[in-house]
Amino acid sequence: MIPRYQRIIFWSLVGGIALMAAFLLHGCQQAHKRLTALNDATPIAAPTNTNTEDVTLAVANDADASISPNADQVALPQDPSLRARALLDHLLSTYSLPGSAHPLQSGPAVDDVFLVNQSPAPNAAVVISDNAAPVPQSQLAIVNLHDSFVDRHPSGILTEALTIQSIIGTLHFAFPAIKQVRFLVNGQPHDTLAGHADLLRTYPAADTTSHPRPPQLPPDTPDATTDTSTDATHP
Amino acid sequence: MITVTPLKSYNQPKALNPPLKLIAATIFLAALALKAQQPPRIVVLLDPAHGGPDAGAHLSGTLLEKDLTLSLNSRLRAALAPNNFGLISTRDSDPTVPFLTDQRAEIANRTHPAACLTLHATSSGRGIHIVTSALPAPREAADLPSPHAPIPWDAAQSASIPQSLRLANELGVALLHARIPVLLTQGSIPPLDNLNCPAVAIEIAPLSFSKPASINDAAYQQRIVQAIAAGLSSWRAHNPPVVPGASPNTATGAAH
Ligand SMILES: [Zn+2]
Repeated sequence: MIPRYQRIIFWSLVGGIALMAAFLLHGCQQAHKRLTALNDATPIAAPTNTNTEDVTLAVANDADASISPNADQVALPQDPSLRARALLDHLLSTYSLPGSAHPLQSGPAVDDVFLVNQSPAPNAAVVISDNAAPVPQSQLAIVNLHDSFVDRHPSGILTEALTIQSIIGTLHFAFPAIKQVRFLVNGQPHDTLAGHADLLRTYPAADTTSHPRPPQLPPDTPDATTDTSTDATHP
Repeated sequence: MITVTPLKSYNQPKALNPPLKLIAATIFLAALALKAQQPPRIVVLLDPAHGGPDAGAHLSGTLLEKDLTLSLNSRLRAALAPNNFGLISTRDSDPTVPFLTDQRAEIANRTHPAACLTLHATSSGRGIHIVTSALPAPREAADLPSPHAPIPWDAAQSASIPQSLRLANELGVALLHARIPVLLTQGSIPPLDNLNCPAVAIEIAPLSFSKPASINDAAYQQRIVQAIAAGLSSWRAHNPPVVPGASPNTATGAAH
């Protein structure tokens, strides 16, 4: 006959084991969910009632340091801030696809995009005529990057500069009212993207399309070439 | 006081004296001619980027960008010093405390070098990326600030942009001659915008996309260094210093 106190200890231990097993199982499921979310390269889900629309992405290429406009179709929400965020998430997720010309690791990239209306400078307000079309208010876009995106970004002058130009160019194509772009990381100012590209300055939002030309021989060199067909358009 | 050695005591015939003088005079004149032919001395500032707690990029294996840039600094000094270049390095060792880009710009702007090269390395891309400041260049002489006007720190590079672009081009041509792929581009990379000298950032990437370890190849690094030295010599020939004879005494910097 097993004493009563031993039976109580036995069943208490069995109960404890069952509880610990349940706790471990729950922890594993949570970790799995977190890892799956990190590896998910798809952009955030668009509202179900939104159709895909044509957008132009400013796409970077490491091989020739170029930024080229590239037409694409993507479902975007109506709210401008969410729209900008979804667009940038879509842009940056394309860089994690196999064979990307500007390879970046997959994962969450943009936490938020804040659009701040800016009042025009006093000396810039020139009224041409009474019935002139209203001048659209200029906007400052604040792109809040996810810290894991910054941590995973390759370190290098060119690769970082191309990412910044690609983001700015894509915002410029989709939101002509955006005149300036600033960056935050996890809601805080951050010095560089991955050691090089300056994230503390305010960037002018402009067409960043560029195809850098190769070095040109100086004119006094005997075999100097006069080919300027690959002239560059710099931001 | 001149001591005259009695030639007779050495039993040398007097007839040898004039030819010896002639030879000495010829050697002296040849040395003078050689000195006249030497290119004018210009001061080049080398800035091995990163250092201390800022390791820069993690390159192939355990190689850190801060160590590779320091090694390139040594190689460049060895290649440039015999060619009558005065050299200043912002660092010649790994600092123990953070070495900020503003501090590097201060060193450069105090010493007025003819060219400033900031050295970087990356495992992304291939060949050499030569980067100039993305600041807008002055459109005409009237846009240039007056010599007495204060220069904004964040736009100190603006007036030097045309020269920086020419320097980038000369270096690019020399690298292409050495069969090294090169890309000329622009960017906002500290401390480029704060330098008031013709300035470029030189970023070294592997020789090809398929050979990431080539960045650590001594022969590849030496080819790059030789090409940069050739590019700087060409830059000096096309852009002789305005101030005659930049003082060699100010060009010692962080000597090895
Ligand atoms: Zn670097």
